Amino acid sequence: MDDDLTALEITVNGKRRSATVDRRELLIEALRNRFGVTGPKIGCLTGDCGACTVRLDGLITKSCLRIAVAEDGAEIETLESMSTNGLTGLQESFWDNNAFQCGYCLSGMLFAAEDLLDHNPTPDEDEIRQAISGNLCRCTGYDAIVTAIKRYAERVAESDRRQ
Amino acid sequence: MIPTRFEYVAPRTAADVVAALDGESRLLAGGTWVVPEMGRAESRPRRVVDLRRAGLATISVEGSRLRLGAMCTYSDLLSSEDVTRHAPLLRTMASGVTGGSALRNQATIGGSVAAARPQSDVPATLVALRADAVVAGPAGSRRVPTAELFLGAGRTTLAVDEVITGFDLPSERMSGHGYVKLKRGGSSWPIVTAAALLRLDDDGRCETAHLVLGGVEAVPMTVDLTIMLGRPLGDQELDVAAARTVAALSAPWTDVLAPGDYRAAVAAPAARRALAMARANVGVTEGERHGRRPDCP
Amino acid sequence: MEVGLRTAGKSVGRPVRKHDGDAYLTANATYTGDIVLPGTVYAALVRAPLAHALIRSVSTAAAEGATGVIAVVTGEDMIPWCDEIPHGLDAGHLGGHHSAVFPLAVEKVVYAGEPIAAVVATSEADAHAACLMVEVDYEPLPVLLDVESALAADAPILYPAWAENVLIEGHVGNDDFAEVARTAPHVLEGELRTHRGTAAPMEPRTYLADWDAGRQHLTLYASTQNPHVLRTVLAAAMRLREDQIHVVAPKVGGSFGLKMYGSREDFIAPVLARMVGRPVSWVEERAASLLPAAREQVLSYRVAFDDDGGLLALDVEALTDHGAAAPTHGWAMAYVGALSTGLGYAIEHCHVHYRVVVTNKAPWSGTKPFGKDGATLLLERIMERVAAATGVDAGTVRRRNFVAPSAFPYRHTSGLELDSGDYAAALDQTLEILSHERLRADQARLRAQGRYLGIGLGFELMPESADIPGGFVAAYDTSTVRMSPSGRVSVLTGVTSPGTGSDTGICQLVADELGVALDTVSVVQGDTDTCPYGFGNISSRSLVTGGNAAVLAARDVADKIRAAARALLRADYDEPVLIEDGIARLTRDPSRSVSVVEAARAVYTRSYELELDVEPHLESTRTYRPSNIREVPDALGRMQTYTTYPYAVHASVVEVDVETGVVTLLRHVATHDCGTVVNPLMVDGQVTGGVVMGLGAAFSEELVFDDDGIPLTTGFKTYLLPRAVDVPRVELGHLCTPAPGTPLGAKGVGEAGFAGALAAAFNAVNDAVAPLGARLDRTPLSPIAIMRALREARR
Ligand SMILES: Cc1cc2nc3c(=O)[nH]c(=O)nc-3n(C[C@H](O)[C@H](O)[C@H](O)COP(=O)(O)OP(=O)(O)OC[C@H]3O[C@@H](n4cnc5c(N)ncnc54)[C@H](O)[C@@H]3O)c2cc1C
Ligand code: FES
Ligand code: FES
Repeated sequence: MDDDLTALEITVNGKRRSATVDRRELLIEALRNRFGVTGPKIGCLTGDCGACTVRLDGLITKSCLRIAVAEDGAEIETLESMSTNGLTGLQESFWDNNAFQCGYCLSGMLFAAEDLLDHNPTPDEDEIRQAISGNLCRCTGYDAIVTAIKRYAERVAESDRRQ
Repeated sequence: MIPTRFEYVAPRTAADVVAALDGESRLLAGGTWVVPEMGRAESRPRRVVDLRRAGLATISVEGSRLRLGAMCTYSDLLSSEDVTRHAPLLRTMASGVTGGSALRNQATIGGSVAAARPQSDVPATLVALRADAVVAGPAGSRRVPTAELFLGAGRTTLAVDEVITGFDLPSERMSGHGYVKLKRGGSSWPIVTAAALLRLDDDGRCETAHLVLGGVEAVPMTVDLTIMLGRPLGDQELDVAAARTVAALSAPWTDVLAPGDYRAAVAAPAARRALAMARANVGVTEGERHGRRPDCP
Repeated sequence: MEVGLRTAGKSVGRPVRKHDGDAYLTANATYTGDIVLPGTVYAALVRAPLAHALIRSVSTAAAEGATGVIAVVTGEDMIPWCDEIPHGLDAGHLGGHHSAVFPLAVEKVVYAGEPIAAVVATSEADAHAACLMVEVDYEPLPVLLDVESALAADAPILYPAWAENVLIEGHVGNDDFAEVARTAPHVLEGELRTHRGTAAPMEPRTYLADWDAGRQHLTLYASTQNPHVLRTVLAAAMRLREDQIHVVAPKVGGSFGLKMYGSREDFIAPVLARMVGRPVSWVEERAASLLPAAREQVLSYRVAFDDDGGLLALDVEALTDHGAAAPTHGWAMAYVGALSTGLGYAIEHCHVHYRVVVTNKAPWSGTKPFGKDGATLLLERIMERVAAATGVDAGTVRRRNFVAPSAFPYRHTSGLELDSGDYAAALDQTLEILSHERLRADQARLRAQGRYLGIGLGFELMPESADIPGGFVAAYDTSTVRMSPSGRVSVLTGVTSPGTGSDTGICQLVADELGVALDTVSVVQGDTDTCPYGFGNISSRSLVTGGNAAVLAARDVADKIRAAARALLRADYDEPVLIEDGIARLTRDPSRSVSVVEAARAVYTRSYELELDVEPHLESTRTYRPSNIREVPDALGRMQTYTTYPYAVHASVVEVDVETGVVTLLRHVATHDCGTVVNPLMVDGQVTGGVVMGLGAAFSEELVFDDDGIPLTTGFKTYLLPRAVDVPRVELGHLCTPAPGTPLGAKGVGEAGFAGALAAAFNAVNDAVAPLGARLDRTPLSPIAIMRALREARR
């Protein structure tokens, strides 16, 4: 059994960490089981739900589609890192607009939304719907998520205009 | 979670990749197809050969040819000015791939071609673009027109110890392109895709015409449009092309999302729309093209 | 039990955000899968690759020798550790047949994917790897995959002891259609077929069971809707006392019925944990979590009506493709469908004969909205057909048939008694939001251009907060309200919230009753050791039952605060005291006041000194039991088993591409009435979520099997859930007719949206293709089905 174990060194939420992982482990499993993060969830293991989304070397990715050992040296950010200085404006907007019910999709939705706003700070409703369509939510029917992203973007644009 | 055991290697060169391949190995590109397959134990390789460190993700233009590394992701296509200029069809195709940007950041064109799923976007698109696959093997490198690469659903002419290192395709700067995809919603893989490329001469007559459909047969289906050459492209010509599409169909593909009779029934409208879109796109500058939603005719 | 009606307080009625939202946002909300216990081992299941077969032998030797394997357990091995699973509602006690189901199949498999053995190993990967090594010798049996073949005279019998393939059948209403039809101006017949779908919450069923051999005690963390009842049935089957089991339901990642107690999956981890003596984690794989099903009925109907479209009589023959027998309440969806058929329409003669047929598919399992979807779709389809036949506008036909507000209480032929509502007003509002007339004009214009717009209506009326006599589904529930000496308030309740927000609603209710700030109140749910026994989250009951109970309990606590305040203020024992903003003041002299905290402390610490005439603690446990349930059957055997009757009128606008069958959803409107709204944010969230789920069922979600009964929809690339791009923003309208039977006036909202959306979408697509002579009489409305209908019309 031991020959399946191997060392993995990655940066998780800004901290360089190492752990022993089974070569068969997916990145999502290693993150949850070996590095103690719980923000990303497992919903399908086929890349379809987006619950496992994390940011890897700056790009968002579905961590169930990656083999952990292949990511040696990577820098990974999970939901845990998002609120190190208190909730972000986007997070507050999700909360205010009831953009999560069971919360299982939340981490993935937040990453998808952040990624969208990084590329397009003033998205329209269609663009928001496109951007979160790699993620499934079974509870909200999506409207609240779209509203949360839209209102946040509008608020940011508004305050940029004022400055 | 992957149940079966494997060894993991990440060679630094294409040659080392080839050296690592044998009947019990599996190439790993973006992993979006192969990792879940291993999770379901449908694939149980002894060795996983990761392509990521082999330097195959470059995009370049040489003369009038566009070179794409096999490890280019959909996002790479979307952010490349070379692609936008020389193969805007690829851009349009990539923008409609589902799974969100997380998926597009990860899934590669080489992986899509090698997986040879009848429903995938990439294979028929590359065939329409008359791309050659550059394939490395123990005896060196060979070029294969992508049209000749596909043997059937999930089957290609690649040997177990071969790897696609990239694609090489002619610039389509002067063409108008159309891409139409029919599916069953945001969760659905493509049911039928139609990729069209048209070039018109100064008198508005058809100089070149390429139409390839995906999802209608087990492999990309090329529709011969020779009869359209030299003719102005009126609605009638599009009808002729649609009729030829139907005639070209022999064994429609069936899967859980749609039976063959449905694919056969919608192939012609998909083809016609792709051509209509290509016709409308001829001479449209890149800037104008960007402002449009190409997937809604 | 009158508590008095209220619509808005400091926080009740307001769009208060989730009381514990920050925990979710910071990854501090703990789900079952986030809990780690030292020494945990992992279970995986060997599942049947055939839909019907005898298990000749199971060879476990190779798996037992595999790396990391601790135990390989077959169905037979498990029998000494776990009895037959107790039924939620045993058809055998109700004139149907009993079925014996164990956690793992014994002797025979009756659906593909049925678990037949389990492996426990030190890692999940090793457990799954060893499953691949378990060799099973099957003897294939003929498979039954639809109701028609299962009912055929020469059909093989799935459960030989029954001598038939009907689990249970029954009649609801008065069977006098023929008599009425004889003199009726019009009679129509038809058939409607619905397809198989499933709940598909994002979190699969997840369990972590910890057996303490020394204490002979089981702790189970489970993604369950009903922790207390789960404990009851676990104890029964595992031959333990209930006090030997502690069930905790941490945060649940959505449930929609799938996580209702008592499925065989509930027993896997607990029994294995006891067998191996270590904590066992078991997470259902996605493919398996898409096995439990709902819908797939054949509804044959005859309807008699007059020239104005008034319905005179309705007769329905409802065949349910249940799949294999199961211990869950799944089959009751067929009964509830029958009970609610025609509900909301004043049809004097309404009869449903339902038959629940067993086939070789994974069984029905309770799924939102619990069988009422089929009934809704049927009636809404009928309304359209009656409209077409009489030439009366479809909205007008509905208006003619609606139970009028003046008719309440109105007893439906099934026995359910409607208490309130204004269905026509909801229809009016929906049509207004829609700009219906303008839309019809657009439709006509576009048709002339060869574009096919469709507009469809759907009226849903959801009986909610069910009670099953003798069963663990109750219209009542229990909450404890406890205030600490520092004025912090905890509500411990028997209801749970899989994200729906009823817990936030309960906080609001209690905060208002106690006149304290919202953030001083917290809710504890889902723990059998700390919360009062309760029935959890089902049937849109949590706020109505747990919330009303919390209100009653909070009032008891508030009374003591008032008593203490009077004592502290040296006021007379009958001096009225108003509590607001954390201050208790004399109503007649508001300048005299004490803080709630001071009063609370006084109750705990100064009982003798102040000569307090109350028991010196601030805690009350109350059960809210609605007064409108009647379970002594009337002369016709009818009962009134639901507490509230929320409803909605939906409208869908679609465009059908008649060359490809692809549907674009342009708009969806729903005017909803759930009585008093405690929290509009949560209510809108429930309705919108339900609408999108209903649209998914209408268009894309379908469980598909091959000819051998092997499921082909094993993930989200084939079981197509709606995504954000597939649906338009849901436009909501609101009405409020408070439920007279309940103190708050609130009606259930947890199942809202689904059925009306399904029906409206169905009618919209039919409306779009009608000019081409096409008609769809089955779901789903896939492009494939639409193209087929169009092709048939052209013939
Ligand atoms: C959520 C989701 C959404 C998707 N949506 C779409 C969509 O809209 N349209 C669509 O067409 N597809 C879609 N796909 C499929 C996806 O695009 C393909 O799976 C992807 O392009 C494959 O690339 P990859 O790099 O991930 O391949 P991998 O999974 O790494 O590999 C796929 C196969 O190709 C082999 N291989 C990989 N690279 C090479 C190479 N260079 N030479 C030889 N063999 C190689 C591998 O061994 C494997 O057999 C989706 C997938 C997911 C998970
Ligand atoms: S778990 Fe990774 S996408 Fe669903
Ligand atoms: S909130 Fe439950 S899945 Fe999105």
